[in-house]
Amino acid sequence: MQIELKRIHKHFGKVHANKDINLLIPSGAIQGILGENGAGKSTLMKILSGFIQADSGSEIILDGKRITIDSPADAIRFGIGMLHQDPLDFPPMRLVDNFLLGLPGGLLLNHKKAMQDFAALAREFGFALDPESYVDTLTVGERQQLEIMRLLFLGARVLILDEPTTGISAAQKEKLFATLKKLSAQSITVIFVSHKLEDVENLCGRAAVLRGGELVGELQAPYETLKFVELMFGKVVTLGEKQSLAQEALTLSLNNVALEDARIKIKHVNLDVRAGEVIGLAGMEGSGQDLFMRACAGLARTVGGRIQFKGQNLTGKSYHTFKRHGVNFLPAARLEEALVPGLNLMEHFILAEHPSGIFIDQPAGEKLAAERIQSFNIRGGPLSNIESLSGGNQQRAELALLQTPLDLILLEHPTRGLDIESVIYIWGKLKERCQQGASIIFISSDLDEILQYSDRILVFFAGQVSNPIEASQTSVEQLGQLIGGKGWADA
Amino acid sequence: MLKARLKNLAFQLAALILAFGAVSIILISAGASPWEAYKNMFLGSFGSVRKFAEVLVAFVPLLLVTAGLLVTFSAGLWNIGVEGQVVMGAIVTTWVYRLFLESGWNPALIIVLAILGGMVGGAIWAALTGLLKTFGGVNEIFGGLGMNFVATAWTIYLIFGPWKRPGVASMSGTEPFPDEFSLPLLANLRLSPWALALGLIAIVIIYFLLQGTYFGLRLKAVGKNFRAAYLLGIPTWRYSLYSFLICGALAGAAGAVQVAAVYHRLLPSISSGYGYLGLMVAMLINYQAIWAVPVALLFAALNIGSIQLPIVMKLDSSLSGVLQGALVLFVLLMEGARQKLIKRAS
Amino acid sequence: MRKNFARFAMFAMALMLALSACGQPAATQAPATSAPANEPFVFGMLYVGPYNDNGWSQAQYEGGLYVEKQLGAKMLYLDKVNPADRPGTTPDQLAEELVAKGAKLIIFSSDDMKDGANAFAKAHPDINVIMTSGDQVWADGKNYTATPNMTNIMGRMEYGKMIAGCASALSSKTGQIGYLGPLINDETRRLAASAYLGAKYCWEKAGKNAADLKFKVDWVGFWFHIPGTTTDPVQISDNFYTTGYDVVISGIDNPVNLGEAQKQTAEGTPSFGLAYDYVAACEAAPDVCLGTPYFNWGPEYTKAIASAQDGSWKSQFIWLGPDWSNINNLDTSLVGFENGPALSADAATAVKSFIAELAGGLNLWTGPLNLQDGSAYLKDGEVATDQQVWYLPQLLEGMEGLSASK
Ligand SMILES: Nc1ncnc2c1ncn2[C@@H]1O[C@H](COP(=O)(O)OP(=O)(O)OP(=O)(O)O)[C@@H](O)[C@H]1O
Ligand SMILES: [Mg+2]
Repeated sequence: MQIELKRIHKHFGKVHANKDINLLIPSGAIQGILGENGAGKSTLMKILSGFIQADSGSEIILDGKRITIDSPADAIRFGIGMLHQDPLDFPPMRLVDNFLLGLPGGLLLNHKKAMQDFAALAREFGFALDPESYVDTLTVGERQQLEIMRLLFLGARVLILDEPTTGISAAQKEKLFATLKKLSAQSITVIFVSHKLEDVENLCGRAAVLRGGELVGELQAPYETLKFVELMFGKVVTLGEKQSLAQEALTLSLNNVALEDARIKIKHVNLDVRAGEVIGLAGMEGSGQDLFMRACAGLARTVGGRIQFKGQNLTGKSYHTFKRHGVNFLPAARLEEALVPGLNLMEHFILAEHPSGIFIDQPAGEKLAAERIQSFNIRGGPLSNIESLSGGNQQRAELALLQTPLDLILLEHPTRGLDIESVIYIWGKLKERCQQGASIIFISSDLDEILQYSDRILVFFAGQVSNPIEASQTSVEQLGQLIGGKGWADA
Repeated sequence: MLKARLKNLAFQLAALILAFGAVSIILISAGASPWEAYKNMFLGSFGSVRKFAEVLVAFVPLLLVTAGLLVTFSAGLWNIGVEGQVVMGAIVTTWVYRLFLESGWNPALIIVLAILGGMVGGAIWAALTGLLKTFGGVNEIFGGLGMNFVATAWTIYLIFGPWKRPGVASMSGTEPFPDEFSLPLLANLRLSPWALALGLIAIVIIYFLLQGTYFGLRLKAVGKNFRAAYLLGIPTWRYSLYSFLICGALAGAAGAVQVAAVYHRLLPSISSGYGYLGLMVAMLINYQAIWAVPVALLFAALNIGSIQLPIVMKLDSSLSGVLQGALVLFVLLMEGARQKLIKRAS
Repeated sequence: MRKNFARFAMFAMALMLALSACGQPAATQAPATSAPANEPFVFGMLYVGPYNDNGWSQAQYEGGLYVEKQLGAKMLYLDKVNPADRPGTTPDQLAEELVAKGAKLIIFSSDDMKDGANAFAKAHPDINVIMTSGDQVWADGKNYTATPNMTNIMGRMEYGKMIAGCASALSSKTGQIGYLGPLINDETRRLAASAYLGAKYCWEKAGKNAADLKFKVDWVGFWFHIPGTTTDPVQISDNFYTTGYDVVISGIDNPVNLGEAQKQTAEGTPSFGLAYDYVAACEAAPDVCLGTPYFNWGPEYTKAIASAQDGSWKSQFIWLGPDWSNINNLDTSLVGFENGPALSADAATAVKSFIAELAGGLNLWTGPLNLQDGSAYLKDGEVATDQQVWYLPQLLEGMEGLSASK
C-alpha cells in the first residue's frame, strides 16, 4: 500500500509535536524514520495508526484515496497496524487470547484454528512463545513479538514498528529483519522507527529524519552515516573514550547462588562486583539475565547460595531492604513497572526521595523536579504527566529517579529508546556514579553498548552463566557466538 | 483553558439532562408528569427547614462513607465491603452503649466512646478484608461481599438473640436507648449538628490527606501502578491496608451516627444502604474529594425528596434510586465521550 | 487546586449557615390550624407493608377508605413504612411528611412503629395519634404513659383466632396444625395460643383424643418476609405441609401459606390454609382456604377521627371483640370471620355453632391452663384477666414452638 502524508500538524497544548510533515511512502517499501528523542516520530506514527488524530487540515492518502482514521480499529480496517514503543496495557490473559483480541466478527472464537495460526506464525518468525502462558510473564521483547504476530494475523498491510529492536537479541533481530524483508516483498509496507543507524542502514531502502517536529531530510540507501547524525542533531556527535573506574572495595558478592523461575534454572553463580565497576549482562531475551538481575535486587528469591552486600548477608531479603542498603533497580517496562501513569514528573521525584513530614512541600518539590529535569535533559515540565513525555524522555525520567548516594545500580536496558546523543550523555551520568563508588550491573541487547561501557561481561545462555569476561579481551563476534550457545567450553 | 472548562461543564450538563430525560420517559410511560415528580422531589427535600434537615440527616452518613471510599479508590481498591463496615460500626456502637448504659457515667462520654468504638469496629472489619487480600489473595470485591454478608448475619443474630427486647423476637430492632444517649439534636429536628460537623470535618481531612500529603501521594501511586509504587520504595501492602483502615473507620463512623443520632438502636437494615449509595457517589464524582459534598447532598436530597412521590402522586419512591443510577451511568458515559473528543480535538 | 479549595470552602460555609438557620427554634412550620369549614378533615396513615398486601396493611387501607366515606374526610397515606423498604427513615419522620401535607391526625398502623409513634406524639402534642395494636395509653397496662393525644385501638382477634383454630381442627385429617407466626411478642403469642385453644376445643368436641392433636408454631421474624433478613415464610409453610401438617394458619401480614397449600394439594396431598387480617384474603387461593379471621377497622377509626374532628377527642385504650349479633357486620364489628370456600358444609355448621357458643359466653381462656414450660398459668376454673391475656408470657402447654427466641 502506498501512503502519502500531507501537511500533517499536531499540537499538544503548546507543544507543536508535528509541523507540516509531507512524506510519500511507496507500496512495499521499508521506510526508516529517524530523529532525536521528542522529535515527533511516535506522534506521527500514532496519527497514522489512529491512536491520536492530527490537527484539521492534515491529510492521509492511502493508495490515492484520502481517508480519515478515527481509531486504531479504523486503522486496522484500512490495513494499518502499529507496534508501540511501549506495549500498551496487557491484562493477565493467555497469549492465545491476547492474540485473538481485536479480531472482528462473531463471538464464537475458533480456538483450535487460532492455536494453529499462532503456531504457524511463531514458526515463521522463530519466536518461542507458548500460547498457553500468560502475557504478564513475558519480557518486553516477547511482548513485541506477540504484538507483531497479532497485527499480521489481523491482516495488516502496513506495519508500523516504533523502535522494535531495543528489546530483542541480535539473533531475533536478524530473524525480524528477514521477515520484514519478506513482508516487503509481498508488497506489505513497513515503517520502521529507530535510533539505531545501523539498523536503518541494514534494513531500510529509504529514510526520513525528523527534528523538533519537522521533516528535515529524506535519504536513500546507500547512506552516509555522518550525514544522518548531522541531520538528526544538527551537529556531529562523537563517542567518548572508554574508561574503567573500578576500585578495590567489594560491593556485591554472590556465592554459589542458585535461582529458579517457571522457565529457567540457574545454578552456581559466583561473582564479586567491585565498587565503581560496570558489569554487562548479555544474552538472548529470557536466557536468565533478567532473573539474575532481579535476584541481585531482592526481587526474585534465591533457591540456594548467599548474596553478600558490602559484607552483609542479604540473602532472602526484600527489595526494600536492598534499597535501604543502597541498591536501586530500574526495570525495562517503563510504564508498567517503573513509572506511574497519571502522576507528573514532580510527584515521581518526590516519591523516589522518600521525604519525611506529612504535608507536601510544593516549592521544594518543584525545585527538585526542575533540577532533575535539567540535569537529565528531560523535555517536559515538573507538572507534565509522565505519559505525555516521549519514549526517550520517559526513559530519562526513569534514570532521574535514581537516589543519591547509591552503591549498586541495576539497570534493564538503560538506554532503550534513547537517541545516540542521549545514550552518550546518560552513560556519562552513570559513570559519574561509578566515580562516586557505585557499581552498575546492566542488561542490554546491544552488544556494542555492552562492550563500550562494561568492565566485565557475563553471558547467559539458557540458564547457563559464563565466567566474567574482561570486556577489553573480547569482541562482538565472540559474544555473539556465546549468546547463540557456541564456544561455551572455554568461557 | 477556559474553553476546556466550559466544555467539561457542557458534558456534565448533558449527562444531567440525559439522566433526567431517561427518567422522564419512564415517568411518562407510567402516566405521570415528570415535572410534577421533580417538583415534588425538590420541594420534598428543600421545601422547608425541616425537610432540609432530614436531607442532612441522610447526608451525614453518606458523606462519611464517600469520604472513606475516596481513600480506598485512591489506593486502587474497590471496597465493596463498605456496607458491612457501616453495619459493623453500628454493631460496635450499640455494644459500647449496652456496656455503659447502666454505668452511671456521663452520657456525653459514653456517646463519644460509642462512636469511637464504631469507628474501630468499622476499621477492623475493613482490615479483615484487607488482610484477606494481602495474605489470602482474595480479591477485595469478593472478600468485601462476603464480609457484608457476615456483618448482616451477625446483626440479625444479635437482634434476634442476645440483644433482643425482653419477651420479643422481632426484626424490628433492639430496645431504643434512652434519650440522653442520643447525640444532641437541634430543637424540633432530628438533625444532630455534631454528626454534621463530623461528616464535614471528615471530608475536609480526606481532601487534604489526598491532595496535600505525602501519604496521599503514595496512596495514589499505589492505586495507579502497584508494581511501580513498590519499586519506588513504597510499602505497598501496608498502604493498601492503611486505606482500608481509614475507609473502615469512616464507614464505622457512619454506622455509629445511624445508631447514636438517627435510630437510637440496632436494626437489621441499620446501614440504610448508604454503603452502596456511597459507592455510586464516589463513582459519580470520579474520586475527586472536591465534589463529594454537593453530590452526596444531591443523593441524600433525592432519597428524602422521593418520599413525596407515593404520598402525592402514588408513585414508587424507588424512582430516586433509578434516577441515581441513571446519573452515574450517564456521567460515566459522557466522560468517555468527552475523552474521546478531547483526544481528537487537541 | 487552590481554586478548587475555595469553592469547597464556600460550599462548607453555606452548609454551616443553613445549619445555623435550622437551629432557630422559631423555624418549625405550624400547619394551618384553622382550616375553612368546608375543607375536608385530613388524616394520615402509615402502613408497614404495601397497601395492597392482601392482609394487615390492606385491611388498614380499607379502614381508611371507610372513614373517608363516612366522614367525608381525606386520607393521606404512605405504605411500606419499615427500615428495609424506606432506608434511612423513621416512622415519626414520615408522619411529619404527612402532617406537612395537611394531616391533622396520624394513624400509626403497626406494632413496628411503636417507638416512632411515641416520639411523634411527644413532639407534636397538637396532632392526634392513633397507635393501632399498642398499649401505651392502657392505664391498667404495663407500659402506660399518659399521652393525651394518643389513642390505642385493637380488636380482640383472640376470638377470630379461636374460630380459625376450630376450623382447622375440624378440617385436618392428620391432626397436625401449623401456625405461621410473624415475630414473637405479647400479641403474637396470645393470638397463636388462641388459635390453639380453639383448635383443641373443637377437636375434643368432635370426639377425638386430645393427645392426637399436634399444634406447632414456627416464626418468621417479622410481620412479613424481608429477603436476607427474616426466615422465608414460604419455606416455613412448605416445611409444615411436607411433614404432615395439613392445615397451616397464617399469623403474618399476607397469607403466603395458601400458595403452598395449593401446591401440596396439586401434588396429591389435600392441604388447607387459613388467611388472616383482611376480609377478602381467601380470594388469593379460594380452593384451599378454610377462612379468614379479619379486622374491620373502619367503624372504630371513624369514631376516633370523628371525635378529633368535633373536639371531643379523649385518649383511650380500645380493645374490642366482635359484634356478637353478627360478627361479619362491616358497620359494627371490629373482628370477624369469613368462611372460606374450602370449608366443608359439616365443618361450617360446626364452626357456626362454635361462634354461637362464644357469643353465648364460652371463654376458652379459663383454667386449668399451664404455660409451655409447665408452670401454672390459670388455676382450675380461673378466668384470665385482660392483662393476663394481653401479656401472655409464653405459649401454652401443648403447643410446640418457641415462646421466645433462643
Ligand atoms: N499526550 C501528550 N501530551 C502532551 N505532549 C505530548 C504528548 N505526547 C507527546 N507529547 C510531546 O510531543 C513531543 C513529541 O513526542 P514523540 O513521542 O512523538 O517523540 P518521539 O520522536 O517519539 O521521541 P522518542 O524518541 O523519545 O520516543 C514531545 O515533546 C512530547 O513531550
Ligand atoms: Mg517515540
